[in-house]
Amino acid sequence: MKNIFLKTTWLIITGLIVANLFVVISGIVISDEIDNFEQKTDKFHKINLTLEKEVANLGSLKFAQEQAKEFGFTNSTAPQYIDQLKYAHR
Amino acid sequence: MKIKFIFLLFIVFYLAIVVRLFFLQVIYAPSNKSSYLKTNKLYPVRGKIYDQKNQSLVLNQNSYQLYIEPKKVKDKEELLQLLSKSLEIEEASISAKLDMSKDWVAISGGLPQEQKDKIDRLKLKGIGFDYQTKRFYPEASLSAHLLGFLGKDNQGEDVGYLGLEGFYNRDLRGLPGFLETERDIIGRPILIGVQQRVEAENGRDLTLTIDKNIQEISKKRLLEGLDKYKAKKGCIITADPKTMAILSLICLPDYDLEKYYLFNENFYKNLAISDLYEPGSVFKPLIVAAALEEKKIKPNDIYNETGQVSVGEYNIKTWNDKYEGRISMTRILEKSSNVGMVYIGEKLGNKKIYNYLEKFGFGQNTNIDLEGEAGGYLKPKANWYPIDYATVTFGQGIAITPIQMIRAFASIINGGYLMKPYVVKKIISENKVTEIKPKIDRRVISQMTSDIIKKMLISTVENAEAKWDRPKGFSIGGKTGTAQVPIKGIYDTSKTIASFIGFAPAENPKFLTFVVLYEPQTSQWGSETAAPLFFEIVKDLIVYYGILPSQ
Repeated sequence: MKNIFLKTTWLIITGLIVANLFVVISGIVISDEIDNFEQKTDKFHKINLTLEKEVANLGSLKFAQEQAKEFGFTNSTAPQYIDQLKYAHR
Repeated sequence: MKIKFIFLLFIVFYLAIVVRLFFLQVIYAPSNKSSYLKTNKLYPVRGKIYDQKNQSLVLNQNSYQLYIEPKKVKDKEELLQLLSKSLEIEEASISAKLDMSKDWVAISGGLPQEQKDKIDRLKLKGIGFDYQTKRFYPEASLSAHLLGFLGKDNQGEDVGYLGLEGFYNRDLRGLPGFLETERDIIGRPILIGVQQRVEAENGRDLTLTIDKNIQEISKKRLLEGLDKYKAKKGCIITADPKTMAILSLICLPDYDLEKYYLFNENFYKNLAISDLYEPGSVFKPLIVAAALEEKKIKPNDIYNETGQVSVGEYNIKTWNDKYEGRISMTRILEKSSNVGMVYIGEKLGNKKIYNYLEKFGFGQNTNIDLEGEAGGYLKPKANWYPIDYATVTFGQGIAITPIQMIRAFASIINGGYLMKPYVVKKIISENKVTEIKPKIDRRVISQMTSDIIKKMLISTVENAEAKWDRPKGFSIGGKTGTAQVPIKGIYDTSKTIASFIGFAPAENPKFLTFVVLYEPQTSQWGSETAAPLFFEIVKDLIVYYGILPSQ
């Protein structure tokens, strides 16, 4: 009887130790993941701002002016119908 | 014996741990809490600002604040030398900030990612970076006065000043959240510990009524105009006359939004909403509209313009002291006759003149959604002398702001509705979009009067004394103005404020543009400075909107 009681106690203690170890290790692993995700979120946030800035720069009038200059859009290619009405109705 | 000794040893260790824990958790509990319980303020992202076509005007960008922990610095001289080179700041300036007795000293804020990476590569000991965001303006200072800037308050918190940043600061800034979490010795969250997170509420985004292309056109033309006419400063406002949605608002000189702190405070002033001036002849159509509304005159009524008119001890004359004899009311506007306006004022009556000034919103704020508006001053009725009633008919002796002028003018061409001018058409939060609708403050004149005055204003452009290079085939209405500038109660004849206010296409106006030039040097007249500039802008806007000629 005493033997069974002792074995059961040892079994429970061993089980608790294993469970405890599992919880602690899982906790550390999940904490690491949370930490990782926090860092990734920060990184994505920064990348997002950088990309947003680049997109805005591409859509800016300053960029459009540079492109217009590069492709040769000048005053001579501006619409003429203000001064020559006949073009307005064609 | 051995077992007892080991048992005793365990008991002693156990008691030592219990005592130590008691000290850590009970005796020193408050001071040690901070080492494992980490509370972070979660900063909201400040709202962005877009133009009417959702093109970015203000965004946020990554930025860093460089700090030094003096006690960790090994070689101060080398550190100063390398930082000075990387930051492009004098060594002496960094040295002045570097107090070696402190634990932490901020050196420079607003550093871009590239500059941070460059300094990181130097592997300097005792320096670090705090992450921040700062405002980014894709169109640079295209709309400086309109947008306002982001500065700091007494507590070092971001706060918007002037323009939209100031007016909508509470919407743009959002609400901070916080994160309280227990962390282990290397900063990882402890799962079974305290974990409390209240998310920050990001600032609301603004979509404006402003069209950045019209803003660009206006700025380009105003720069050319200031240079060509040697004017001290100037403003151009373009609005939709039916709603008073502001399409562009530009005043020069302006300032660099990114380096606003390098400019004198005078540059921050948005002349369009805060500068009081006497409008001059652009004011005349308002008085004519009032007289038409009250049925005191008709467009073809005749006035005999024979010479100067005396009001008390003052003589009022036309701009060139020339008189045409029998002229119609329309002709009074066409030739901008001051004596003719005095006649219309007399027909309208002093009481009605004052009532209409109030109805047109003078002396009151327009409540435009920009910070820094001045309301103007309309002196109490009891303080008005007969000469005041005479001069106000041609826009002298009354102080108004350009935004008040364009609002009042819009009311006479849009069917008579005095509208509240506005710049923001949508406020976008994370889960709601609030649309801002045009708001009618009151009705000033009837549709019929509005139609009549519009025709008179078309005629004013077509038969004006000055001949302008107008776009052919388009009907345009408008009025010139040349106002004298009072200095210490006396008009300085050498200084004028030249202006032109006009709309196109006249039958169904798509835009109303007001051009004001302060103290032009090449000519003092609005007809020779502001008016040609106005027609240049009209040509650009006709092309931009694709408006076809009607004639």
